[in-house]
Amino acid sequence: MSTLVANRIVKTFNVKRGGKTSELRAVNDVSLTVAPGEIVGLVGESGCGKTTLSRIMIGIETATAGEITYDGRPVKSRADWRDLRRSVQYVFQDPFTALCPTMRIGDALAEPLAIHNICPPAERKARVIRMLEMVGLHADVARRLPNQLSGGQRQRVNLARALMLEPKVLICDEIVSGLDVSVQAQVLALLIELQERLGLSLVFISHDLRVVRYLCSRVLVMYMGEVVEQGAVEAVFDNPQHTYTQALLAAIPDHSRLTAAAS
Amino acid sequence: MAPVLSVENVSVSFPGGRGDITVVDDVSFSLEAGQSLVIAGESGSGKSMVCQTLLGIAPGAAKVTGTRIDWKGRDLLKLGEAEWQTIRGSEIAMIFQDPTAALNPLITVENQIVDAIRAHRKVSRAEARARAIEVLGLAGFPEPEHRMRSYPSELSGGLRQRVAIALALSCSPSLIIADEATTNLDVSIQAQIVKLLRDLKDKLGLALIFVTHDLGLASDIGGDLLVMYAGCAVERGPVNDVLTDPTHPYTRGLLRSAPTLKSSRANPLRPIPGQMPKPGSVGAGSPFRSRCPVVVDGVCDIKRAGWTSAGPRHDVACHRFALEGREGVR
Repeated sequence: MSTLVANRIVKTFNVKRGGKTSELRAVNDVSLTVAPGEIVGLVGESGCGKTTLSRIMIGIETATAGEITYDGRPVKSRADWRDLRRSVQYVFQDPFTALCPTMRIGDALAEPLAIHNICPPAERKARVIRMLEMVGLHADVARRLPNQLSGGQRQRVNLARALMLEPKVLICDEIVSGLDVSVQAQVLALLIELQERLGLSLVFISHDLRVVRYLCSRVLVMYMGEVVEQGAVEAVFDNPQHTYTQALLAAIPDHSRLTAAAS
Repeated sequence: MAPVLSVENVSVSFPGGRGDITVVDDVSFSLEAGQSLVIAGESGSGKSMVCQTLLGIAPGAAKVTGTRIDWKGRDLLKLGEAEWQTIRGSEIAMIFQDPTAALNPLITVENQIVDAIRAHRKVSRAEARARAIEVLGLAGFPEPEHRMRSYPSELSGGLRQRVAIALALSCSPSLIIADEATTNLDVSIQAQIVKLLRDLKDKLGLALIFVTHDLGLASDIGGDLLVMYAGCAVERGPVNDVLTDPTHPYTRGLLRSAPTLKSSRANPLRPIPGQMPKPGSVGAGSPFRSRCPVVVDGVCDIKRAGWTSAGPRHDVACHRFALEGREGVR
């Protein structure tokens, strides 16, 4: 089974301030397992280490201690990471900076196929079109440039690019937080469809607990580099144990409290 | 009480290749001292353009028309730049979405606030400095005497937004416009800032316009709600009434697509199909007709709906509702 595991990850950065170098522990002994077909939520405020952890899981950052394993095998050498990135893909927060502004969408989507030398060049175009249609975009989009698309369309393009290699695991860093509510609902529906149709696993990073509650089955709450609470979404959200989780939940603006009060 | 601000039939358009492109279409609302109005809508709904119009900072090409924007007996539509200078930042102040971009990175917090005060009031530096300490305190900025010598880059995002709020408060305005002022902040900081704005409104008797795309946040602010779509106001009323009994198909669609802490996949969100029409392509009909599940054939594509009452002070602009009431939009 294709399971992605982060085992006891520690990441420290050296911070220089006032001529002195001090050590900042961004991630402190965090473990995370993503089972096949599972959507795991990673929540916490800016600076809690959730993005750093996810970047370590795909090899953009290297861990100070701990290891990443995939399919039970530790990921260590460059070749290991290259293999991992065929099965594990990352979708970045800002859909505009994640796309090359001078590259047409079709070329951007075909590039992963070329890098991993997956299908003959002649077939790439057809695969790009199929993928665009799968994420609900028109085939014409392939000829456009990123600045000709709306925010929601760009985020779909980013998703499509990550899906080109038919990955098993997708790491999504705040991918819906910049979107309007109605577009956000469309992207969430797409993620659920992908999970159900392709058996895709997701690591879903977000500070919006409402979205996490809706999408994820399991959730990890991070605070200052550590996991303070984890478990099934219903358990953690309906009966939070840690004071930080309780405070986070209380801070969420939520109109369902109104409906509850009215009925 | 007489409203401090009364916006009557205001439209904003830009010149386009094939005629004018209307981005705000015939919007009216009014606001009393000590009251809040939440303007909710998605990108492109025209909510930010309404705010810019109230501050006289709409882009130069924008053509603002309308019956009247009454501000304490003066018509803001007829002001020249010199008169705007006496109102903008002094009587009406704005808090922007991105405090990093709103503050000057090369000037200390203290000097930015002192400069703002001295631009509007004939006071000494020492008096202005005392006022700066006072407003920073009101905005919940810790240890203002010492920390106001910081540069914006030395502060966290939440503290920077408190500085922006202090700056807005510095000349004792009667109206504060907060345009997505908490969108970039962490949820717990957002909750603090929302509470601060609510408290300031009550304590200082300010009128507050809060622009957001988050309906959950709208319920936390309270007061009145104006829902905008593609430049048009589609529903208005007390926040609680509109959110617990939404009547416009767009408001209903928006609520069905927004997850809450009670959402689960057993009860799936229902996205609104399609996309918002491009600016200028709405024409004379209902702005929501291309995505509306209860469109009235032969009516919605010809004329805009007027306001129909859906309850006390709660109005909706929908042909279907006008014809069949609540049953029609269910």
